[in-house]
Amino acid sequence: MSNPTSWRVRLQILGACVAVTVVLLPLFLMDNDWPVAGRDYLEARGREDTGAINLVSAIYLGYRAFDTLGETIVLLVAVSGTIGIAARAGGAGLAMGYGASDNSARRSGAGAVRDQKMGDGEIFALPDEKRKTHALRTHLLEVVTGKLGPVVLVFGLYVMLYGHLSPGGGFQGGVVIASGIVFLALGSRADSRTGLNKASTLACIEAAAFLLLILVPLSGMFFVGPNGTRGFFANPIAELDVLPAGFIILLNAVIGLKVGAGIGFMCVAMLGKEEKA
Amino acid sequence: MTERLLLLSLFLVGFCGVLANKNIIKKIFGLTLINNAVVILFVLEGARVGQHAPIMEEGIETIVDPIPQALMLTAIVIGVCITALALALAFRLYRNTGTFNIDAIRRKVHDAS
Repeated sequence: MSNPTSWRVRLQILGACVAVTVVLLPLFLMDNDWPVAGRDYLEARGREDTGAINLVSAIYLGYRAFDTLGETIVLLVAVSGTIGIAARAGGAGLAMGYGASDNSARRSGAGAVRDQKMGDGEIFALPDEKRKTHALRTHLLEVVTGKLGPVVLVFGLYVMLYGHLSPGGGFQGGVVIASGIVFLALGSRADSRTGLNKASTLACIEAAAFLLLILVPLSGMFFVGPNGTRGFFANPIAELDVLPAGFIILLNAVIGLKVGAGIGFMCVAMLGKEEKA
Repeated sequence: MTERLLLLSLFLVGFCGVLANKNIIKKIFGLTLINNAVVILFVLEGARVGQHAPIMEEGIETIVDPIPQALMLTAIVIGVCITALALALAFRLYRNTGTFNIDAIRRKVHDAS
């Protein structure tokens, strides 16, 4: 520890930290007043312009909806990249860690040495149980996650569909749905009937939701909105008296499906649930 | 002021983690810490001008600024993407070299080339 190289490295790290502090300190200590013009405008007009009571939803699905499309594309690219990189690394199957399929009999997660045999995989399962057996799974985990999964899915749907009224929205609800999918994948038994923890199903849902996300804003090009506006991502039902936030609800639902399926796909693939092609 | 100094220290903890740790996974933790510090700073600054959440129900006045919150939604999503990609890259390095230690990885790459 006391050799000179180590000290030199530590000195460099200290110097870098000091430099970053010097650069950032004025930013963190600045005492300017926060500009309130945007806040005041949104407070006065946001609800009339977009129909959403939640002004954060009003911004990211009303005023800046096109930016949100770009954001979902970034997420799509990241999911594709992650799956691609992990799949290349894992050979034929995807990341074979937790819950690797029975015939592959190898695991790389949890610090286990690569290519190590499963060996003690039957510890937690009795012979006639329908569970897949592997070392990291316990009854407690299975019971809790299996029972909690559907509840979490319903809560995710709530967060997703009420994003215009309360804290939440497509991205937040999508992440909750992804956790529900991970719970289902962790708690599923061998004879489980749900297809939600299959990577192929999730990929299909994500692709369909992305297609919808392209198609739904196109509707704004055929209906004339308020003040004669018309175009990509224009709200086609803004002039209706009933539920002017319907467009935002629809976009929230589509984005929630896409984010939930995408992140759930990524997590399920990293859990090693992908069946080998 | 105290909050901002705490956030600066959170940022520095993440930065030190990225620099000083040998383990790639811990470096990625450092990246997420930096990301979180920036996100919390923006939300905190935007919340200085009001008291209530930006949900325009009856009788709500002096809301906080919703713009930084909407921007940070984007930043959070990008942060998740970066973390996922970095973890996938770390996994691939692990499969190819058998270690997460950045020095050992560098040695192996050096030996191989």
